Amino acid sequence: MQLYPAIDIKNGKCVRLFQGQFDQETIYNEHPYDVAKQWEDLGATYIHVVDLDGALDGQWVNQEAMQKIIDTVNVPIQTGGGVRTLDDIKQRLDLGIERVIIGTMAIKNPDFVREAVQRFGSKHIAVGIDAKNGKVATHGWEQVSDIEAVDFARTMKAMGVEVIIYTDISKDGTMAGPNIEQTKALVDATGMDIIASGGVSKMQDLENTQAIGVQGTIIGKALYLNAIALDEAIATFERGE
Amino acid sequence: MAIGIIDYGMGNLKSVSNAIQFLGGECFISNDYDALCQADQLILPGVGAFKDAIELIREKKFDTLLKEAQEQGKPILGICLGMQLMFDSSDEFGHHQGLGLLPGKIIKLNVPLKIPHMGWNRLDIQKTAPLFKNLPEEAYVYFVHSYYLETHVDIVSATTYYGKEIQIAAQQGNTYALQFHPEKSGSVGLQILKNFMSL
Repeated sequence: MQLYPAIDIKNGKCVRLFQGQFDQETIYNEHPYDVAKQWEDLGATYIHVVDLDGALDGQWVNQEAMQKIIDTVNVPIQTGGGVRTLDDIKQRLDLGIERVIIGTMAIKNPDFVREAVQRFGSKHIAVGIDAKNGKVATHGWEQVSDIEAVDFARTMKAMGVEVIIYTDISKDGTMAGPNIEQTKALVDATGMDIIASGGVSKMQDLENTQAIGVQGTIIGKALYLNAIALDEAIATFERGE
Repeated sequence: MAIGIIDYGMGNLKSVSNAIQFLGGECFISNDYDALCQADQLILPGVGAFKDAIELIREKKFDTLLKEAQEQGKPILGICLGMQLMFDSSDEFGHHQGLGLLPGKIIKLNVPLKIPHMGWNRLDIQKTAPLFKNLPEEAYVYFVHSYYLETHVDIVSATTYYGKEIQIAAQQGNTYALQFHPEKSGSVGLQILKNFMSL
């Protein structure tokens, strides 16, 4: 199983939010690239970067911070937040990002996802689904829709998408364990590469996500609170030691 | 010593140049035939579709550039799609002629596993020198591909196991081909690029 240590960036700094709420943030490090380097030194083979400003302003204010991360580490990076147009995607891929995650736009305009996959290839596009109790959430997690996450993932598959990042927003940043039941439903119903996200707090959570056949799991807060040792997790879940 | 990274209008080249600069190497990204002729070494990177890429390369006469560089014995490194372009042909969306710098064909990966093959996999080294020197015994590298190489065993320098044994690196003379992305393969990838730079 691929592990994705996460870096959340806001105003160029590495932060963590509590359940996606912008007023509840903690700054962990002034320099996101230091954190990226730290993860790489511990053996990280992929890094997940959340661009929190992009998510609100529609502008790429963290381009420089992203550039520095890319210049610092030599592993693939996926990022989401603020992706609204094909140019936004191109800008990110041109910078050296491996996989761009489309969030809100995928719900607003599924055809946009189809265009993105056709133009940039399914290898470089992922769709982020944020959900609460299996229903898709939108607009920076402030609204929950009637759309079933499983149905939405199937729609995305029909658009050519291969990778879904599934975040249970009732779990994210809570350290309460990922939503195994809903994530498993997604894996079983779609056969897509599902990346589990939200709530991972201990090694047991990684065992649980691995057991349901996800492609990978994103680890955020647990790393910052030293609840999971990244090197140990990589040895166990990526290399099977 | 300068490495010319061939820009034929497809995909991201910055990761490759970043990695080389990180290693203290001198490199430039160019789409200019004359500028690239001055390079001591050439890298052919690439993401995207084979057909579009080969058409752009022929349009820019980079096929001639690479052929001449090969005849002069300049080190040439192809990465991912760039690697696939170096061989005789590809079956990606129809049958297309490649650059023919190395013998072999690119065919659809057909294994009972997820396609595209995306992620880290073991580098099983068949020929250590010169590109795979000074690597750890267990080396992993990063892949993103749906098609793979089939060629004579004697030019294969590395394989991996993904549902079956697949050929992922080849070498003949000073021409090197890598299916995986050294520029995204951590310290192992950096060592491979370093080995190329010291040719």
